[in-house]
Amino acid sequence: MARLVALLLTVALGFGVAAPALAQSPTLDKINQSGTLVIGTRTGSPPFGFVNKDNQWVGFSIDLVEQAILPALSKKLGKEIKLEKKESTPPTRIPLLTSNAVDLIAETMTDTRARRDSVDFSLTFFVTGAQFLVRKGSPVKGIQNISGRRIAAQQGSTNARIIRERVPSAQLREFPDQPAAFQALVQRQVDAYTNDGIQLAGLKAKAPKPDEWMIVGDFFSYEPYGMAMRKNDSDFRAVVNNALMEAIESGKYFELYDKWFGPKGDVPYPLTAENKRFLQMQVVPK
Amino acid sequence: MNYKFQWSVLWSGDSGSWLLQGVLMTLEISALAWVLAVALGILSGALRTVPFRPLRAIATFYVEFFRNVPLLVWMFFWYFGVPPLLPVGVQDWLFSHGAEFWAGMFALGVYHGARFSEVIRSGIQSIPRTQFEAAHAMGFTTWQVYRLVILPVALRLIVPPATNESLNLLKNSSVALTISVAELTFQTRQIETYTAKAIEALTAGTLIYLGLCLSIATIMARVERRFAIPGLIVRVGG
Repeated sequence: MARLVALLLTVALGFGVAAPALAQSPTLDKINQSGTLVIGTRTGSPPFGFVNKDNQWVGFSIDLVEQAILPALSKKLGKEIKLEKKESTPPTRIPLLTSNAVDLIAETMTDTRARRDSVDFSLTFFVTGAQFLVRKGSPVKGIQNISGRRIAAQQGSTNARIIRERVPSAQLREFPDQPAAFQALVQRQVDAYTNDGIQLAGLKAKAPKPDEWMIVGDFFSYEPYGMAMRKNDSDFRAVVNNALMEAIESGKYFELYDKWFGPKGDVPYPLTAENKRFLQMQVVPK
Repeated sequence: MNYKFQWSVLWSGDSGSWLLQGVLMTLEISALAWVLAVALGILSGALRTVPFRPLRAIATFYVEFFRNVPLLVWMFFWYFGVPPLLPVGVQDWLFSHGAEFWAGMFALGVYHGARFSEVIRSGIQSIPRTQFEAAHAMGFTTWQVYRLVILPVALRLIVPPATNESLNLLKNSSVALTISVAELTFQTRQIETYTAKAIEALTAGTLIYLGLCLSIATIMARVERRFAIPGLIVRVGG
């Protein structure tokens, strides 16, 4: 009844009056009621989402949520919104969203057309591609010479799928998480480990002896990272997207990028001019 | 729930053949692990009851050590811990020839062997002491007492809890996906990767596990009826 009255009032008063903005968005309603934004993120994917040496759960994706999206949500709902983090992994992240356990997936999820059947994505906040992590001096130089070799990949990732399709003769070993796959590489169970280049860089930087490892090969896939949300909630998605655009436009995004990927960051990974341009072009006018 | 079900993902594309491969792999690893577990279980279960302390101690150590460490840890142990102990040439050969499968099989078999052992021990200990004494009095050696009198009866008594253990073993084979064994649960995740339809894929996996377990339970119930010793075991509704 209240909703109907609100709707009638909106119609009666015309568009000049602010409509009850939340009525259309179940996610915004939920956040408004609980005062909390629940995100799903990673614990072992530095520097996007990981547990650091001081046992704190931090990362670039988490920072983007905390410093860009959370303030925008608080402003939109007119009250302080708290952040709650839950762990998500490739096989669990879509069910976590659809079951309402989390409201936003902010980790290292590649935006794909198949996934868009199940969830909605924000704009792309990071661009990378698949490469290989190998021991120094390894004969593996890229996807062109992995035939017959043992290759570790992360289960449920787009890279595993591409290797299976493009190089069926490679012996693919799929592990549920990054630490197990890296352990297999360390013990020579596999000759190379494939994942998105930036994740390999993160792994290498955190390895006990980073110099022992090399990242090789051209990108053999295109991996645009987006934040995922429940489908058909465009009001919530607009808040998320506008917050990301605002962060790119104001320079906040690049500040955070520098914190994690700059020369002094956890994983030095300079932003190419091309990628910077791509990020900026996603920002639509106010 | 704001979710669009699309069951056709289960039979379009490669999903069907993946599920089939997954079922075969699950059955293969479970069957081999089951044979190992039953063999280890009978051996150590019997040894735990023999009148010779060192043998009892070895069997007790095996049971307590292997059943009190999580299966997941055993998976990592057999996959990451054991190969480095082998010569490099053997390691390399193994890694190219299904090291995951064998590591997973040993992990499952040895872990469940320890649990089977307790089931079998309880079967043996439920047999009245007089049977041991009678058999000995007839001139049987301890080995003959176990082989000809005690174990044949004990194995009949423990069919229901052994069924329980066997079903657990089959379901626990899914833990092997952590070391890259492409069994049924692994394949349901594969379908999720390709189609982003996790709930449909998990439902298919659930129903297949349920079907497999019900089949095993039915077979074991038949075994139980077929081998029951008339007059020895009280049966209700049998």
